[in-house]
Order: sequence, then structure tokens, then C-alpha cells
Amino acid sequence: MTILYFSLYHFIIEGHKGVIGTIIVNSEGLPIRTTLDNSTTSLYARLLRSFTTLARSAVRDVDPQNDLTFVRIRSKKQEILVAPENNFLLIVIQNPSE
Amino acid sequence: MSFRRKKGAEVEETLKRIQSQKGVQGIIIVNSEGIPVKSTLDNQSTVQYSALIHQLVMKARSTLRDIDPQNDLTFLRVRSKKNEIMIAPDKDYFLIVIQNPSA
Repeated sequence: MTILYFSLYHFIIEGHKGVIGTIIVNSEGLPIRTTLDNSTTSLYARLLRSFTTLARSAVRDVDPQNDLTFVRIRSKKQEILVAPENNFLLIVIQNPSE
Repeated sequence: MSFRRKKGAEVEETLKRIQSQKGVQGIIIVNSEGIPVKSTLDNQSTVQYSALIHQLVMKARSTLRDIDPQNDLTFLRVRSKKNEIMIAPDKDYFLIVIQNPSA
């Protein structure tokens, strides 16, 4: 169910202007769908999985009843959006919006 | 007014303005070492948030630099079921705003 949901998201998001790439990472940290090349995909998957884990534990440390729903990392050159769902990750890399 | 005092007053005003926005639960200013220098929250929450977010900002920065050493963090937004934490890093400080996004 989650894979279907994500795949749909994937196709919809890809059409958006300014989207540089999208990656879906499964619960084992393996990228299962991507629009980027292999090495870039692996790099993003690994780094963002690690970051998301830290963000999630920070949220839970403050309130164990709470949970992470979304992360937005903005930088000078791009914006990275991460949506965690059931241990999967949907990663969208886009141009920083104005 | 001396320059220092004027700057101090500006900071206070900005904090008040942010605090008065609907949904804002707290504001913390943390220095580059992760030490909170100003906060609208109680001590315990301030210390806890500061430590956790400092770690998170360091991680976000290193993540971005691993991808592209020329790049740097300009903003970070961590959304959870109950609230949203926005972090604006600066050269010497970072500003943390905790808000209830549905307000």
C-alpha cells in the first residue's frame, strides 16, 4: 500500500517545475525508485536516512508521543524535502523556491 | 542610545513580533556552541531543545557539505504531528521557532 502511495507521489512530483530529482528509499535504506544516477542516489539515500533518524529521535526525545512527519532542508543551491512513511522515505530535491 | 543598546532593543522587538504570531509556542536563540542565549520557554525545555537542535543543525550542515562542499544550510524545518520547528542559522547564532502549524 505504501509503495503504491509513494509511486503515485513520485510520478506527480516529478512533473513539477524545479524538481531536480526524487528518490524512494525502503525500510532497509535501499533506494527502490529514483530519477537520479546511481551514485547520487546512494549518497542522498544514505545521508538523508541518517539525518531523518536523528530528526525523528530529537522529536521523540522532547515528546515520546510525538513523531516526525516532514523535513525540509534548505540550502543555497537546492532544497531537500524528506517525507518519512512507515520507515520508507520519499526524498524530493528541488530548486530553492523564491 | 548606544549601538549595543539599540541592537538589543531591536532583537527584543523582533522576538516580540515573532512571539505575537498566532501559533508560536517558543523562540530560542542559540549561539554557535549550542548554548541558548535567549528564550521564551522555561529553562528545562530551552536546554533540551537547544542541545537536540544544535546536533540536528550540525548534521544538516554536514549532510549538505557531503553532497556539495560549496553548499551551506540556509533554513531547516522539522515538522511533527504536534508542532513544527523552524531553524534559521546565521554566522554566529541560530534562531529556533517552535510553532503549532495548524493555528
